[in-house]
Amino acid sequence: MIDFLQNTLDGLALGSSYALLALGFTLIFGVLRRANLAYGPAIMLGCYCATWAYLKTGIGLLFLALIAVAGSTLAGVYVERLCFAPHRKGAAAAAMVASFALWMQFEELATLALPRHLYAFPALYAGGPLSLGRLTLRVESLVMLVAAILVCAALWRILYRSRFGTAVRAVIDSPAAAELSGISVSAVSLQVFALASAIGGLAGFLIVSGNEQVTPMLGMWSTLKGMLAMMLGGLGSLPGAIAGGVALGLREAHSQWYLGPQLRDFIAYLLLFVLLAVRPPWMNTRSAY
Amino acid sequence: MLRVVDLVTAYGKIEALKGLSLEVREGSITCVLGPNGAGKTTLMLTIAGVLRPRQGAIEFRGEPIAALSPHAIVARGVALVPENRLVFAHMSVLENLHAGAYQRKDPYENDLEKILARFPRLKERASQDAGTLSGGEQQMLAVARALMSRPRLLLMDEPSLGLAPLVVEEIFRIIAELHRDGTSILLVEQNAHMALKVAQHFYLIEQGRVTFSGSPGSLAEDELIRRAYLGSARA
Amino acid sequence: MDEYAIGVLTNIGLFSFVALSAWLLLVAGELSFGQQAFFGVGAYAAGIGTAMLGWPLPLAALAAMALGAAAAALVGLPTLRLRGLYFTMATLAAAEMLRILFELFHWQIALGDERIGPDGTQGFRGIRWMLERGIEPLDFLAMVWILLIGVMVIFLRVENSRLGATLRALGHDPELARSAGIDVDRLKLGVVAAGGALAALGGALFAHHNTYIEPRNFDIMLGVHSLAYGLIGGLGTAFGPLLGVVLDIGVLEATRSLQGYRMIVFGGLVAVLLVFRPRGLLDERVVHWIRSRA
Ligand SMILES: Nc1ncnc2c1ncn2[C@@H]1O[C@H](COP(=O)(O)OP(=O)(O)OP(=O)(O)O)[C@@H](O)[C@H]1O
Ligand SMILES: [Mg+2]
Repeated sequence: MIDFLQNTLDGLALGSSYALLALGFTLIFGVLRRANLAYGPAIMLGCYCATWAYLKTGIGLLFLALIAVAGSTLAGVYVERLCFAPHRKGAAAAAMVASFALWMQFEELATLALPRHLYAFPALYAGGPLSLGRLTLRVESLVMLVAAILVCAALWRILYRSRFGTAVRAVIDSPAAAELSGISVSAVSLQVFALASAIGGLAGFLIVSGNEQVTPMLGMWSTLKGMLAMMLGGLGSLPGAIAGGVALGLREAHSQWYLGPQLRDFIAYLLLFVLLAVRPPWMNTRSAY
Repeated sequence: MLRVVDLVTAYGKIEALKGLSLEVREGSITCVLGPNGAGKTTLMLTIAGVLRPRQGAIEFRGEPIAALSPHAIVARGVALVPENRLVFAHMSVLENLHAGAYQRKDPYENDLEKILARFPRLKERASQDAGTLSGGEQQMLAVARALMSRPRLLLMDEPSLGLAPLVVEEIFRIIAELHRDGTSILLVEQNAHMALKVAQHFYLIEQGRVTFSGSPGSLAEDELIRRAYLGSARA
Repeated sequence: MDEYAIGVLTNIGLFSFVALSAWLLLVAGELSFGQQAFFGVGAYAAGIGTAMLGWPLPLAALAAMALGAAAAALVGLPTLRLRGLYFTMATLAAAEMLRILFELFHWQIALGDERIGPDGTQGFRGIRWMLERGIEPLDFLAMVWILLIGVMVIFLRVENSRLGATLRALGHDPELARSAGIDVDRLKLGVVAAGGALAALGGALFAHHNTYIEPRNFDIMLGVHSLAYGLIGGLGTAFGPLLGVVLDIGVLEATRSLQGYRMIVFGGLVAVLLVFRPRGLLDERVVHWIRSRA
């Protein structure tokens, strides 16, 4: 029982990092109806910028967070302009492959700046875990959880209580109608890309400072986990992305405990495959914003 | 205020507009009539910037707008109520209206109130998702949303399409009101009878060209209606 | 020819098979991120055939192709009705499952004083049919390219046949194709299975060229690369994916002076290329133009 509770707690923490990644992915997917394969690599590049700055100057965590967020955002904007803005009408395959080409670019850029496979990243919190009775909770996990909740709340406010949010939801609903209402789909797409990449950058920073290390694998990992959580949550719904992320985290923590890492991943993909093939009702919503 | 000169718009190899010219005077209601497939919707979409013309010019208040994207044309004061309504189905009625006012920098609460007062059915359903509205209500919402941008020129593509007679009358009452308030209107209508009652000027389009234009009464109404529905004999 | 050039040419041939298989699905209107798994199935199956069961390579390659087609059909059946990103993600999920199965796959037998066979993440070494038969790299190169040319002949013939037109119709608009009386489900299943067989053939050859395979060879990177080859080279002709492979492997190998920067340059070039040619260099228009000249 205590194992089960502990796994659930770990899963929640892991799931909140997935939820953050999925939120960014979903924002982009909602607006563009395109999967951005370079989403994770842009995050990785942002985190590499932070690592590089840390190695060169040893500046503090807050600055590192800012650099990670700013780097990811810039990389995201670059991806949007080169891969998605030119392919707004049709050419989904071209957009996806172009984003893959930039993924390769980002990976090489990162390994060029920092050639080792693994670099240490300063820890978010130096002390030990908190204990709650017989359960333990890492402070990093707690921060991740709180950050996920705060980002969700802020995002909700932006989307449902601001002029920009109205525009974003209008573009998601119908790009044609949005243009005719005076909303620039191109500008909104770029802004959403920037916002999503910033959220991804924050998630990336929390993940690498929680793990106290950074590798180029972070790119592929973030894209896959973000995409997986997004698909589990129903493709294009923000509440769904959060639910999908948390579900993925919980499931991973439990199956890791009982089955080990390989079967854990196997089951994640099996679940996704079955869900896609069966398509339960919630996976058909194009709309749930 | 709007001048369309020698406009050619094509879908691939098929030219839907083949050198069409027309003019809308400030403060007037101008009506475009024509049989199905004449190119009326194509004309409206081209003016609104959704379609790029292959040739020709579109001038609004002296400024060429043919190369602009739709949102930029809205910003210059031209709003389209499209044929297929195109409301934001998953947003509430009120949010649809806010979206319509997106590029306005001034406070528009007063206008919102006025527009809701003009469309009481929308006011009752302000927080309902637009996708759940009836066809007529969606049409009204599309008109109301276009009005939120406070257009100088309103383009309306068959606003009465598929609506019950009573609702059609309501729409035409609103068109007359808008005209009285000083909005210029370019109206595409199959309902020639109703349209000619409100319009000061009309154009008959057949196969992508203007084949007749004038003021209502310059051609016997039944002859006009026959051609608008069926196309002229030589077509 | 020096050994290095032979190696590059062989690799171009090998990866052309998996690129062609991704291209085939692309023409039929679907993006698959999963062809690498069938490449892997072929590699493992053929390796087991020659190194463990003592079969000759042709038999092992045929078995690999059959298994690749079966695996692809198995993945294809439940996903026939999926479109767009849903299909793409389903193929990715299936491929990753297969890769994890390779990681969990342990089956070794004693041969002489060593143990041969798949050993999970440690991979599968000792696929030495070529060495044992004394087949030189140049002979192997010729073999790969003869097979590839055979495949290309089939592709080009199909392209000019009714089947080819039907395939393009399916890729253009499946609903329209369905309403035109095309049995879309059967056609798609056929395409998927043929793609699986083709990738598996490439994998079988790959295993015997490398003599050593490991699950990591068949990860998503290979899948996305295969897809990218077709899109860079062009959707208009089966030469498209070949051109893509040549550009990637050939040009990149040739420009080793760019060491360390080549993906930066190449990645940027691909993205820019796709802006101007979203259906690749040899797209339908270019191919049509070339045909009308010829
Ligand atoms: N997306 C399109 N692709 C190809 N051809 C089109 C397209 N849209 C319209 N057309 C063609 O262009 C011509 C003009 O169409 P348009 O929709 O402008 O006619 P319309 O006058 O609005 O007709 P209706 O009264 O039926 O609404 C028609 O022949 C039509 O078939
Ligand atoms: Mg029309």
